[in-house]
Amino acid sequence: MEGKKINRNGNLYTFIYATVLVVLVATLLALCATGLKPRQQQNIEAEAKQQILNTIGIQTTADEAQAAFERYVGERYAVSRSGAVNQQADAFYLNLKSELAKSEHEQQLPVFQATMPDGQRKYIVPVRGNGLWGEIWGYVALNDDLSTIYGIVFDHESETPGLGAEITAPAFCKQFEGKTIFEGAQLTSVAVVKGGAHPDDPHAVDAISGGTITSNGVQDMLQRSLERYSAYFSSIREQQARAAMAADTLAAADSLLQPAIEPGAMSNQH
Amino acid sequence: MDSIVQIFFDSMFIKNMVFSYFLGMCSYLAVSKTVKTATGLGIAVVFVMGITVPVNYLLNRYVLSEGALAWLSPDFAGMDLGFLSFIIFIAVIASIVQLVEMVVEKFAPALYSSLGIFLPLIAVNCAILGASLFMQKADYQTLGQATAYGLGSGLGWFVAIVCIAAIREKMKYSDVPKPLRGLGIAFLLTGLLGFAFMAFTGFKL
Amino acid sequence: MSEAKGKQSWFGAAHRKLLAEPIGIKNPVTVLVLGICSALAVTAKLQPAVVMAVSVTAVTAVSNLVLSLLRRTIPNRIRIIVQLIIVAALVTVVSEVLKAFAYDVSKQLSVFVGLIITNCIIMGRIEAFALGNGPWASFIDGIGNGLGYGMILVIVAFFRELLGSGTLWGYRVIPEGLYAANGGFYENNGLVIMPPMALIFVGAIIWIQRKRNKNLMEE
Repeated sequence: MEGKKINRNGNLYTFIYATVLVVLVATLLALCATGLKPRQQQNIEAEAKQQILNTIGIQTTADEAQAAFERYVGERYAVSRSGAVNQQADAFYLNLKSELAKSEHEQQLPVFQATMPDGQRKYIVPVRGNGLWGEIWGYVALNDDLSTIYGIVFDHESETPGLGAEITAPAFCKQFEGKTIFEGAQLTSVAVVKGGAHPDDPHAVDAISGGTITSNGVQDMLQRSLERYSAYFSSIREQQARAAMAADTLAAADSLLQPAIEPGAMSNQH
Repeated sequence: MDSIVQIFFDSMFIKNMVFSYFLGMCSYLAVSKTVKTATGLGIAVVFVMGITVPVNYLLNRYVLSEGALAWLSPDFAGMDLGFLSFIIFIAVIASIVQLVEMVVEKFAPALYSSLGIFLPLIAVNCAILGASLFMQKADYQTLGQATAYGLGSGLGWFVAIVCIAAIREKMKYSDVPKPLRGLGIAFLLTGLLGFAFMAFTGFKL
Repeated sequence: MSEAKGKQSWFGAAHRKLLAEPIGIKNPVTVLVLGICSALAVTAKLQPAVVMAVSVTAVTAVSNLVLSLLRRTIPNRIRIIVQLIIVAALVTVVSEVLKAFAYDVSKQLSVFVGLIITNCIIMGRIEAFALGNGPWASFIDGIGNGLGYGMILVIVAFFRELLGSGTLWGYRVIPEGLYAANGGFYENNGLVIMPPMALIFVGAIIWIQRKRNKNLMEE
């Protein structure tokens, strides 16, 4: 190609040169991209699995995430906005973002059910919203009562390091543990309060100082995302309440000698 | 998704290309010695960004992103040409700059004589490619939103360069420590302006 | 064309100079004002800054090498586009490799990897050096300029992470016990984390460099 006689300004030369270059470069890139694709995909999946496992307090490396995920998170299905369960769908491969772009009655929302080593059941749902600079998302693990938060993780696209980006810090996420998202039958979600939440408030945590907009984003994201599941959550909670009530009535009938159930007991079952 | 007005405002003031992402700094520092040239380059940037961002949006939506080729035939639904984005975006920018140059030269010679020298500079202005990449990342739903983003970012850049040029003109009369003159003080000033622009953060229309 | 340089031994004085100058008195960032664009947004933490520095060095060196090899064949009219396409291809490779092998960092760098394409250092060195010099000299020049750029990035990131988060490379340097929250007196400087602070740091570096080397001062 060290051509001394070729006219480097000729149309034909320019055209052939451009074509050869484009074809070469495109082939090279296609090879590179397809070769690395499985690994990239694996990275993305491993990260999501690690995050889901994190919500139930299990820390794994990217390599072990797959096995651990299969072990703990056995049931994965989708629910609709009205609470109907679709067992056919694998929640892990549902893309929440593209589901949310669909119309409300077509949305399939992912639900993960994890079984803890001690046999307890946790429900894990993904949440998604907007922070200051870009998207934020995360996973919320709920206890069997579908109200108490067992664990939570957040991640973000491009929040300010040291400020909004602190939503991923364990110190921030830890606050959510033990908070409840239902008050009676009413969904309250969890508020993120600037200037500090009252420590006894079961529905509020402290915001990040200097990260007000990201904190508000988290609050919004939880409120909206959990609301989408509220029909499903409520239906299970009602079933549980009925079962509990039935058990209570049975127990009451069984032990005729015992005094009547005190009035508060029923709502404590929630 | 935010309204078009909000996106426009956001991209112009809050997510300002210069003050929060430091994009297009090379030409920003090199061409900001006088307000006149700064205005020229600024207008050229608004122009080119306003065109390239929507064009790249369409390309991204119908060619590059995963499953984007489904409109051609269902067989292509699984194709992901995302790895070609960088090349396509930069090629589009380079050719549009060339095209704009030719069109302006032919139909508006007066504009060309004032803008002409800046246009070739623009192909390698990071702010232009940056706008396309941020647009791709932000995943706008409509062409209108993408256009608003492109124009807003361009105007934001325009505001930034005119601001700094005005300050630098005044700086000639100030007693700046010798080693800090020129480049050094320009950096510090940009930093301070950046802090000022942070006041817009979180502003909702 | 200074082809004579190419006839020297591979690590001759001329080549060593090519490597050393950009790190000092011909620093691309603080002296030649190139490549600030994609640089500063990644300097809030040390790790992404180092990865960015390595990526830019690799792309500058390889693109200089490739274009120096091709320099006699490129049609004049499409010169800039050919340069851009080759650089864009290399950057795509870097980006795909990062996504596969350094996923965490690639997320932090996000669009700034793509912006390496328009990093003026790369185009600047291709135009100013690679098109007129032999492949090996161009390669060395690319490495030198990449390192000179990386050095500024790392210095800025070092101070921003240390002062802003009290950590380095993600590891805690300032003991927890010193923090006001734990009964100490120390607070992280939140201001340092803010994007504009990167500019102020670079301004300060320029100040110090020009104070020590009067030749670089501007009128």
